[in-house]
Amino acid sequence: MSLSKMKHTLTLLMAIGLMATTAQAQCRAFTKKNCMSELDGYIQNDNYNSAILIPGDEAELMLTFLAGQDYRLVVCSHPVLGDVNYTIFDGRGKNLFDSRKSEQNEMYVDFTVETTQQLQVKVQVPDSETAIMHEGCVTVIMGSKS
Amino acid sequence: MRFIQRTQTSIAVLGLGAILIAGCGESTESKQGSEDQAAQESTMESEGMSVTKRQSTLTKIFHAAPSPMETASLIKRSGAHFHPDALNPAASSAQYTTSDRQAINLGIYGADLSYATIFEENSTCIDYLEAIQSLSSSLGVTDVLNEDVMNSVEENRNDRQALIGIVSETFYGLNERLKFNGQEDLAGLVVASGWIEGMYLATRHLEEAPSELKQRIAEQKLTLDDVMRLCRSYEQTAELTGLLNAMAPIEAAFGQVVTQEGESTTNREASGSFVIGGGPTYSADDATILAIAASVASVRNACIQ
Repeated sequence: MSLSKMKHTLTLLMAIGLMATTAQAQCRAFTKKNCMSELDGYIQNDNYNSAILIPGDEAELMLTFLAGQDYRLVVCSHPVLGDVNYTIFDGRGKNLFDSRKSEQNEMYVDFTVETTQQLQVKVQVPDSETAIMHEGCVTVIMGSKS
Repeated sequence: MRFIQRTQTSIAVLGLGAILIAGCGESTESKQGSEDQAAQESTMESEGMSVTKRQSTLTKIFHAAPSPMETASLIKRSGAHFHPDALNPAASSAQYTTSDRQAINLGIYGADLSYATIFEENSTCIDYLEAIQSLSSSLGVTDVLNEDVMNSVEENRNDRQALIGIVSETFYGLNERLKFNGQEDLAGLVVASGWIEGMYLATRHLEEAPSELKQRIAEQKLTLDDVMRLCRSYEQTAELTGLLNAMAPIEAAFGQVVTQEGESTTNREASGSFVIGGGPTYSADDATILAIAASVASVRNACIQ
């Protein structure tokens, strides 16, 4: 590989890296501006879980919820992705909550667990039939209070 | 010459992969091959969205673990008392000079701070926030626990709820920033050591511990699973691997916790909130609790050296 080709390769790598970093920065800003306020009144969990997804993508999260705590789970997504759905399963795979069946159709769900247990959250971005497909930020955050 | 070209090409490909992984932040499992990994390259045209070039879908796997604040809350709820002598002295922060030791003790201090905050030991909180500010600055994160935040802490030093909010926001911000900076291994060290310190504090003075606390300790078998899964999803640096290996005796001790499976149920309250009842239960005899306490103390004491 010649020196000029190496320069081109490095420039390309830097450009791609910059774009990926910019996208992540946009996602952080989106989360801060549009999602964090949903946890008002709750102590936010330390973990930042945010990704850029497209129609048809899924995301999964497994986390332990402690007995006696009140929790709020927020699934926050850019409107360009449509109605992003989420489902909560227990450790044996039993469906405990499905946002599609919720009357309130909110981006969050409040719950308490009587015994400490691991729950799995599955997030699904609906498919899109449009010619131009968009990608958007999806964030899953948790808060708790005693 | 051909070998050199291949080597250079390999370096370029590896570099591209590393950049994309750093950009994505978390692990992903593609459903349709690896070529879609190059998909994250489009620039966001407006905040939080853009036109994508990616063609195939994927499943994003997020990892998380309960925060030290949750562990501290369960210690207090179980009727345990505050034990200041169990904390790693805030004044020791200057002795941690490598990034790995700084990250480990950032997690340790985070748990100590959460514990002090929940028990409303406000002057202790200030000491630990200053130690955390120092360590996070050393790790290159200066804008999370900045002067504005420290001033806010001073103004709210007698407001427990405000302090809890500030501490939680701080550790969320540190986690976010370390991941964004491509320092996920350090974020893993913070989470793992924070869990260790939270368990260390929960297992102090077991002779006076109420039975509820022992029950809560047994249940931490699940949170240990969260922590190990999260940390194993990150790049395995020598320090992170070393800490996870050191935690093997803790895993072995928790292996003696007895699990009884149970059917989960859900009920919706008038407020709209759900109550998830039933589910598994966890129990441990005194020997298991003591073994957990001893293994946790051993790892924790090595962490603060």
